[in-house]
Amino acid sequence: MNVPTIIGAVIVAAIFIAIVARGIYNKRHGKGGCSCGGDCGTCGCCHEK
Amino acid sequence: MELKIALAGNPNCGKTTLFNDLTGSNQYVGNWPGVTVEKKEGKLKGHKDVIIQDLPGIYSLSPYTLEEVVARSYLVSEKPDAILNIIDGTNVERNLYLTTQLVELGLPVVMAVNMMDLVRKNGDKIDVAKLSAALGCEVVEISALKGEGGIAAAEKAMAAAQAKKAGELPHVFTGSVEHAIAHIEESISGKVPNNFLRWYAIKIFERDSKVMETLHLDAELKAHLEEHIADCEAELDDDAESIITNQRYAYINGVVDKAVKKKAAKHSLSTSDKIDRVVTNRVAALPIFAAVMFLVYYIAIGPLGTFLTDWTNDVLGTAWLVDIPRGWLEGVGCAGWLTGLICDGILAGVGAVLGFVPQMLVLFLMLSILEDVGYMARVAFIMDRIFRKFGLSGKSFIPMLISSGCGVPGVMASRTIENERDRRMTIMTTCFVPCGAKMPIIGLFAGALFGGSGLVAVSAYFIGVAAIILSGIILKKTKGFSGDPAPFVMELPQYHTPSAKNVFHATWERGWSFIKRAGTVIVASSMILWFLQGFGFTETGFGAVEDNNSSLLAAIGGAVCGIFAPLGFGNWQSTVATVTGLIAKENVVATFGVLFHIGDGVAEDDVALWGAIAQHYTMLSAYSFMVFNLLCAPCFAAMGAIKREMNSAKWTAAAIGYMCGLAYLVSLMIYQFGGLITGEVSFGLGTVAAVLVLAFFIYMLFRKNKYDDNRLTVSAVHAAKVVTR
Repeated sequence: MNVPTIIGAVIVAAIFIAIVARGIYNKRHGKGGCSCGGDCGTCGCCHEK
Repeated sequence: MELKIALAGNPNCGKTTLFNDLTGSNQYVGNWPGVTVEKKEGKLKGHKDVIIQDLPGIYSLSPYTLEEVVARSYLVSEKPDAILNIIDGTNVERNLYLTTQLVELGLPVVMAVNMMDLVRKNGDKIDVAKLSAALGCEVVEISALKGEGGIAAAEKAMAAAQAKKAGELPHVFTGSVEHAIAHIEESISGKVPNNFLRWYAIKIFERDSKVMETLHLDAELKAHLEEHIADCEAELDDDAESIITNQRYAYINGVVDKAVKKKAAKHSLSTSDKIDRVVTNRVAALPIFAAVMFLVYYIAIGPLGTFLTDWTNDVLGTAWLVDIPRGWLEGVGCAGWLTGLICDGILAGVGAVLGFVPQMLVLFLMLSILEDVGYMARVAFIMDRIFRKFGLSGKSFIPMLISSGCGVPGVMASRTIENERDRRMTIMTTCFVPCGAKMPIIGLFAGALFGGSGLVAVSAYFIGVAAIILSGIILKKTKGFSGDPAPFVMELPQYHTPSAKNVFHATWERGWSFIKRAGTVIVASSMILWFLQGFGFTETGFGAVEDNNSSLLAAIGGAVCGIFAPLGFGNWQSTVATVTGLIAKENVVATFGVLFHIGDGVAEDDVALWGAIAQHYTMLSAYSFMVFNLLCAPCFAAMGAIKREMNSAKWTAAAIGYMCGLAYLVSLMIYQFGGLITGEVSFGLGTVAAVLVLAFFIYMLFRKNKYDDNRLTVSAVHAAKVVTR
């Protein structure tokens, strides 16, 4: 494997880990995967303020 | 020292607009009541030690609705340092009902008369000095929408909070009521905080069960208090709660007569009334609603949206997002597998979703305008008449309205429905309305197989509404959902020119949320999908496969895809797309992006994905697939919301099972009957099953409701009351 491939693979892996870790963090902190934009009238029901 | 100022007022009087103005927040502002279901807080601009609390809109401090419970609990338990009471200047009489209760709390109150710009425009006059004298609190004129007077009102509230002095209580009640209240005050003195003494006494007089529970009064004292209340009731020949309500309104009428001068004759129609005569007309309302929604979806997913999406796919989707990175990665000598993962996996998946951003923005923009102008509140009113016929009320339409953006807050919004059966039915059906994430699925098939026709999106919206109505009729005839729908009372806001700030903010928030999901959930899913469709077991063992028909994904999807064959999409790609759609509905499109972008037969042109879709589906099977994905179980986030709101594993399973079952049966009928007509399907087992399903639906729709006896007509309730008296 050449250097660009190693760097690219590390970046892609880091992005994947960051997304999954962020998802777990959000879930543990009461933030669901909803796409209300975080400011709807019922926000506090699925997002901790 | 930190000061807490609570914003309290009737629904849709402009609290959230003022809150945003005072705190610099960007909370969602909607021109329909019930936007704020819970309190929110922010710091007053320029005063870090002043907290502004935005409470839900309430009509009274009686715990009739969830919003009133939230607001009352906060005011009584957390005791803010001052209350900034916002009232709608165009409807002072109704708004003062809450004001008379707020001043009884014994907290410093400042009243802000909002919408003064409209009051002046109407030629009306409000004498704030007289209002102030009559209610015992400072009164300020403001226009939250125009940003006038808000800060001055907040500064007066700060001063009142620092002075810690409540105003003089107005003499709202007549002698005998005041006499009874004075006795109650005397009896509970020392049991409640001194400044809340009068408020508790009035609530006890009204026999407020929640207040009685919190006070834990002994039986002897309760009996003593009851004597005072009963004496007063006997004297005034009415029940205690009605006495308080009537006397409050009598007092308010006197105040309004003195302080408010209306230019228009008392019963003349306002501009909003005149518009409503047409828009909510008994005959014209529904055709107008259908025409409006037709236009919205036709424009967004039809010619204009498709034009914008074509351009995005041309420039962003293929050229910028895939070709340029591919060229660069190949140029620096990246390994083929990594170039494939990035370009054919991540970027193809994300690009397929991002390509629909313009269509989403056009749709969100038009829905936001309809909301802000005040039309959507009318739709809830219009739909109440229809919904009531099959067992739901207009209150159920509010969650459905929210669901057109996202199903999660839509399901959550069902909390405001007090009737448990109505609430459950609303939760089960609200996700049938196509949310923003389902729109790319519609846009994809409309573009690939229907020449970008806007009719596909329009039909998808109305299939969603029809599914709700038919479900209502069918479910209401079952034991778990039988009974009368709850009454629905909703105040229709004045029509106004949409505020550019509100409209663009709502559009941007929804659009940005869509983009964020593409950059997170879709990226991660696309990586996993790329791996699963690129690797599998070959003769030489596990490794990369040339043809993704030999991949792990094909093996997994192929094992179960047979169950979808009668629906017209029995290939493994459709099965995989449906399953990945459970992570996020946009993922259906991203999955096709990953699975079809790398097929050998797909041309490297601007509509590569559309071409691949057209190769794998007929118009009929595409429509069947689209309808299945619109009606079946929503994404995991929405399923989580359903689980939380149902608070029962049995009901959650029933809701999700019902959605999946209905989706399967509807798609089966579409494909089988449609196929017979077009010649795509020959008569067989599938057709027989579709005929049986149709017969089952007809039976369920038209069978007699054996639980009809549980339903009481208005006249029956009235008759019962008369007999009781």
